[in-house]
Amino acid sequence: MTSPSVALPAGRARMSPRKRAQVSRVVQYAVLVAVVLAVAAGTDWSNMREQVFNLEAAANMADKLPLAALNTIRYTLSAFAVAFSLGLVLALMKLSSVKLYRILATGYVEFFRGVPALLVVLAFAYIVPVAFQVRFSSITVTIALALGIVSAAYLAETLRAGLQAVPKGQVEASRSLGMTSGQTMRSVVIPQAFRLVLPPMTNEIVLLTKDTSLVFAMGLTAGSYELTKLARETLNSSAVGGLTAFVVVGLVYLMITIPLSALTRWLEKKTGSKGRV
Amino acid sequence: MTDSPIGTADPGSAVVVSIDGLRKSFGPREVLKGIDLEVAQGEVVCVIGPSGSGKSTLLRCVNLLEQPTAGSISVLGVEVTDPDVDIDRVRTHVGMVFQQFNLFPHKTVLENCTLAQRKVLGRSQAEADEIGRKNLEHVGLGDRADSHPSQLSGGQQQRVAIARALSMDPAIMLFDEPTSALDPELVGDVLSVMRDLAESGMTMMVVTHEMAFAREVADRVVFMDDGQLVEQGPPEQLIGNPSHERTRSFLARVLDPTHKHD
Repeated sequence: MTSPSVALPAGRARMSPRKRAQVSRVVQYAVLVAVVLAVAAGTDWSNMREQVFNLEAAANMADKLPLAALNTIRYTLSAFAVAFSLGLVLALMKLSSVKLYRILATGYVEFFRGVPALLVVLAFAYIVPVAFQVRFSSITVTIALALGIVSAAYLAETLRAGLQAVPKGQVEASRSLGMTSGQTMRSVVIPQAFRLVLPPMTNEIVLLTKDTSLVFAMGLTAGSYELTKLARETLNSSAVGGLTAFVVVGLVYLMITIPLSALTRWLEKKTGSKGRV
Repeated sequence: MTDSPIGTADPGSAVVVSIDGLRKSFGPREVLKGIDLEVAQGEVVCVIGPSGSGKSTLLRCVNLLEQPTAGSISVLGVEVTDPDVDIDRVRTHVGMVFQQFNLFPHKTVLENCTLAQRKVLGRSQAEADEIGRKNLEHVGLGDRADSHPSQLSGGQQQRVAIARALSMDPAIMLFDEPTSALDPELVGDVLSVMRDLAESGMTMMVVTHEMAFAREVADRVVFMDDGQLVEQGPPEQLIGNPSHERTRSFLARVLDPTHKHD
């Protein structure tokens, strides 16, 4: 057997692809280490320890933390309740045979996806009370409406996609067994759509959790502070180490959102393996 | 049909499906160009023809999954083309099996068979379970009742789909290319379940490409081409000695795919 000789490019000896990949990796590590060292060297560590990682300051705010965390969760869940109900209505409007409904829903979605959530929060705090002469009795209701209305625009698209992703054959099979369109929706389409949208929906809750930070722009009383507002107030009222509050609430946010993200991944895996035939 | 499933049906009627002048258009394209067909009780009618000839559309018109453009269809003596008909009620007596099985993936095999029994027929959980299990036994899948559809092979899924339809105690079964989506080695099990069903006296309309099955099981074979019913007759006549050139040319292509025709 004679092995055919491969024509190598003449001239300078070239590195093998494996060797080249190796060198590339070493360079990438070197860049990373250099950046970290540069940042570390440029940081005023003693000042940081006093201002940003001040354990004493962290301990001082500890008693107010549980209520603020609870408020964050409360605002998230109530906003999600609004977002889900409104989002489902919008999704069904988008799928409606009535053209005006489709136009209205599309307009709603485009509007609230295109406007900063902070503007909507401010509108609910200052414009809506003037415009409609209403004062929401509880701050939770105001927040739930402001954030829920924005989130509904995103959820509507998610839910619509979920409902449409259930194959038409499922509806046909159900109807061919004599089930009504309502029974088909409830027993066949919605359960399957729900499984499909569960992961993106959990993701939407993570986004909502973070968006509750926008309510700092409203006038809140001490009892209704959520995490970000608490951090700002702590900064304003403490002589030294106030910035530590941001680190602390950042960690609390992560304690809420990371398990949710993990849940999303778990759900994605679960629905992925059991979903379509 | 000892107790007529539908009140208005004529108990003595031997005709289960009666199709008269059926036309169906999708937009500007007319896929059914005036079909007349009757299916008698206990009869097994196989519908054959090239793809796009309108066979599936014809079948789907029978239980109104497709709304006919013109003509009339009556099933068990009920005019299903009447806009005021309670089609859900008629559909409970018309079992349908789809090419893609269309099992409910979020339900177990048994739940697939019991869902409509409970929701539509109002049967108790226990009764529905018993009937569901009995029909799963019939299709040879009694031991898979608690599996999910995704855990079954295509052939098994299609047999579950048959059990699901049978659990409603239908007066007629419609099969829409039931083996076309199956791997060749899985076709046999499904066909043998259908053969048993035919032997038990079930009225069946079967759209199929399985000529051997049609020849063996059908009482009558109907050949469709280009939205028209070209000819019909007993299998030995229609498949063995077709009188129309279109039928001959189709059969030549199907029975001997390597044969160069025309």
